[in-house]
Amino acid sequence: MNKLIVAAASGALLLISSHGMAADIEAGKKKAAEVCAACHGPDGNSPAPAFPKLAGQHADYLAKSLNEYKSGVRKDPIMAGMAAPLSKEDIENLSAYFATQSGLKTKY
Amino acid sequence: MKRPAIVSVVAWGLLLALSGTAQATGDRAAGKQKNAMCIGCHGIEGYRTSYPSVYHVPRLGGQHAEYMVKALEAYKSGARNHPSMKGIAATLSTQDMEDLAAYYATSGGK
Repeated sequence: MNKLIVAAASGALLLISSHGMAADIEAGKKKAAEVCAACHGPDGNSPAPAFPKLAGQHADYLAKSLNEYKSGVRKDPIMAGMAAPLSKEDIENLSAYFATQSGLKTKY
Repeated sequence: MKRPAIVSVVAWGLLLALSGTAQATGDRAAGKQKNAMCIGCHGIEGYRTSYPSVYHVPRLGGQHAEYMVKALEAYKSGARNHPSMKGIAATLSTQDMEDLAAYYATSGGK
C-alpha cells in the first residue's frame, strides 16, 4: 500500500516537473534563426566580441535577461527592441535552445 | 636584394603597434590573480543566486572579453543593476576589468 502511494506521488511529481519545463527546443531554434542569429550566431556562439555568447549559458539566466530587457529593468537599445515582441513561450523556448548548445563553460 | 635594416625596423614596429590595438589589453595571468571575488559564485558549476531572485549565475568561461568589460562597467556605473555585482564592480579599475575579462574569455585551463 505504502509503495503504491509512493509510486503515485512520484508519478504526480514527474508530471508536474515535466509540465514546469515544457520548453520547445525546436521552436526555440526556429525563433533564434529569425531573431537572434544575426548578432549572436545561429547556435549562440556570437562571432562579434561586443555581443555575448549565449551557447551553453544557463537557461534561467537567459530567460531572466530577456525578461529584464522586455520589462526595461535592463537597458540596451538593441535588446529592448528584440525582446519586446517575444512572448513568455518564445523566451522559454529560446533560452532552452541556447542552453543546450555547446559553448560557454563554468570556469573557476 | 637586401632590405635596409631601417625598413625592417619600421615594418616590425608598425606590426607591433597594429597588433597592440587589435588585441584586448587585459592580462590573463593578472586576471587569474584577481578573481578571488568571482569564484565563490561563478566558479561553482550549477551555483544559484539567492537574492534578489533565484537563478543560475551566468557561465563566464569562453565569453567575449569585450562584452564582459562592458557588463562590469555597466554594473559599476549603475546602468545594470544587481546588488552583489554592483558592489564588486565598484572596486574594480578598468585594468582589473580587462584582466579578469581576458582570463575568463578562455574557456579552460589557465
